[in-house]
Amino acid sequence: MIAGGVVLYFTIRTIVYKQIDNSLKTEAEIIEDQILQTDTIPDFTAAFGHQIEVRLLNSQIKKNNISYKDTLILDEKAGDYLSYRSIYYSGNTKDKKGYIITIYQTLEEKQELLKYISLYVPSLLLSLLIISILLNYLISSNLWKPFYISVDQAANYDILSDKPILLPETNIIEFEQLNSVIKSMTRKMRSDYLNLKEFNENAAHEIQTPLAVIRAKIDMLVQNARLNKESLELVKSINESTTKLFKLNQGLLLISKIDNQYFQSEKEISLKQIIETCIDNYKEITEIKGIKVELKATSEAVIKMNEVLADVLISNLLSNAVRYNIDNGFIRCEIDDSYLEITNTGLSLKADPETLFQRFHKGDDNPQSVGLGLSIVKKIADNYSMKITYTHKANLHQLRLVYKR
Amino acid sequence: MKLLIVEDDTALSKSIADYLIIEGHLCEIAENLKQALFKTADNTYDCIILDIGLPDGSGFEVIRELKANRLTSGVLILSARNSLNDKLHGLNIGADDYLTKPFHLAELSARINSIYRRHNLEGQNEISFNEIRVNTEGKQAWVNNILLNLTRKEYELLVFFIINAKRIITKESIVEHLWGDEVILTDSFDFVYTHVKNLRKKIMTVGGKNYIKSIYGFGYKFSDD
Repeated sequence: MIAGGVVLYFTIRTIVYKQIDNSLKTEAEIIEDQILQTDTIPDFTAAFGHQIEVRLLNSQIKKNNISYKDTLILDEKAGDYLSYRSIYYSGNTKDKKGYIITIYQTLEEKQELLKYISLYVPSLLLSLLIISILLNYLISSNLWKPFYISVDQAANYDILSDKPILLPETNIIEFEQLNSVIKSMTRKMRSDYLNLKEFNENAAHEIQTPLAVIRAKIDMLVQNARLNKESLELVKSINESTTKLFKLNQGLLLISKIDNQYFQSEKEISLKQIIETCIDNYKEITEIKGIKVELKATSEAVIKMNEVLADVLISNLLSNAVRYNIDNGFIRCEIDDSYLEITNTGLSLKADPETLFQRFHKGDDNPQSVGLGLSIVKKIADNYSMKITYTHKANLHQLRLVYKR
Repeated sequence: MKLLIVEDDTALSKSIADYLIIEGHLCEIAENLKQALFKTADNTYDCIILDIGLPDGSGFEVIRELKANRLTSGVLILSARNSLNDKLHGLNIGADDYLTKPFHLAELSARINSIYRRHNLEGQNEISFNEIRVNTEGKQAWVNNILLNLTRKEYELLVFFIINAKRIITKESIVEHLWGDEVILTDSFDFVYTHVKNLRKKIMTVGGKNYIKSIYGFGYKFSDD
């Protein structure tokens, strides 16, 4: 803008100077004509704003000469120097006498004009620019508003919720197209998700009866007295796999039920009481393994949640602490108004802690483990917006469940 | 005991019947709701093993019909759906117990026996096996009339053994019976071993015979063979 102003200033100045020079030249030529034709010096009183000096010389000037100059002349009235543009024009009359015409034209007005132009035009441009940017912003924000709402809605779309996506009405065909694509896409996603959820649950349920048959047949098969040791070994291994399949299916069924909001009824429950019962349930197991269990409770830790899920949550956490413990180790439970912490001794974790809460992640090479315990814990925690974190230091493992913030 | 098994999966109902027959029970099978209603109208059963998901209707119908006719048969619900609502509904309308598929036959047998004892309280709260006598009400056991000092788990294990006597029961079924679904631990077999060892020792110290036989690391058989 400043550079533009400078350029503008000099461009206009050049043009103005050229014009002034031309008019000065024309005046000088008129005067010259007059001098040449009449041999008299014209009367200049009429020429206002100009100062014209004509000097007639007695001698001849060697060469016709025209030159332009900027000069400052003291103005007595204003007591200031004013700038003038002057022309120096010389020539010879027919009788070989030289004359010098000097015309001064004030530049004050022009310079004023120049100043204003070079100041006002850029500022006008600047304000135009600002206005156009503002206008553009206003129009585009208004114009793109439905687009941004759509983007926002799509970003916040929750496939778990049965609320359909709400997209704004718009007259713009492109946005309307976009909206209809988003709508049909989310509808498809939602229905696929529901189908998948239903399929998961149905599949898990349908597997139960054949599993029951296999179990019953195994139970019957072992009653057969004619089975030799080798056959029994085979049955044993079939039985182990069946049990694993059963546990797996049970875990998946539970996850699918949590997903399907089966456990909706909520009531005030004391996590402290649940953990006490749970510790009691595990008492003989911990005693056999020589694990020392401590409970430090500073609060009843009453929260509102489904009773079954609270049981599953706590018992999975505790079972995890028992399962991955070492002989003669310890489990320390700390419970407060806002968090539950279970710290246990154990072997150092081989796997990446990040994968700990993932389905089918196994903390050890135990073939009996199906790797669903902590993913169920995570699922329940997520369901109640609780935060579960795992940390470990040397051979101490800690799971921290924060339920109130 | 006279039992009715209502189950549309014949492979399953046959195994249930075969297992319970060893125990000396009389078993009849109904494959659908129609057959079940027909049979319960004509006969009196001590216990009905009832699948809820039948091809021609819900097993709950059978319970309603029984109650309407003031029949006192015990009812054990079998369900593929481990749903709390189903369970509560079943127990509310008069079922005695609820077992989720897949179950162990030994567990089913224990549940049926427990239902039977509850329904026939007069002098029936005792089970025995040779010199071993168990009072299921007081949860006490005697060997040669000497009271055994058993832990809760050891007592439960003994009852489970006696009810499933002469049959091989797998370690898995013991674990599930003693600890239920909640406490499923990888090394729970060691705890079974510990409990069995302690129980055996306690019975033998007071002159009882060693009836608990280990079968190839697979399970146990409580038998006097």
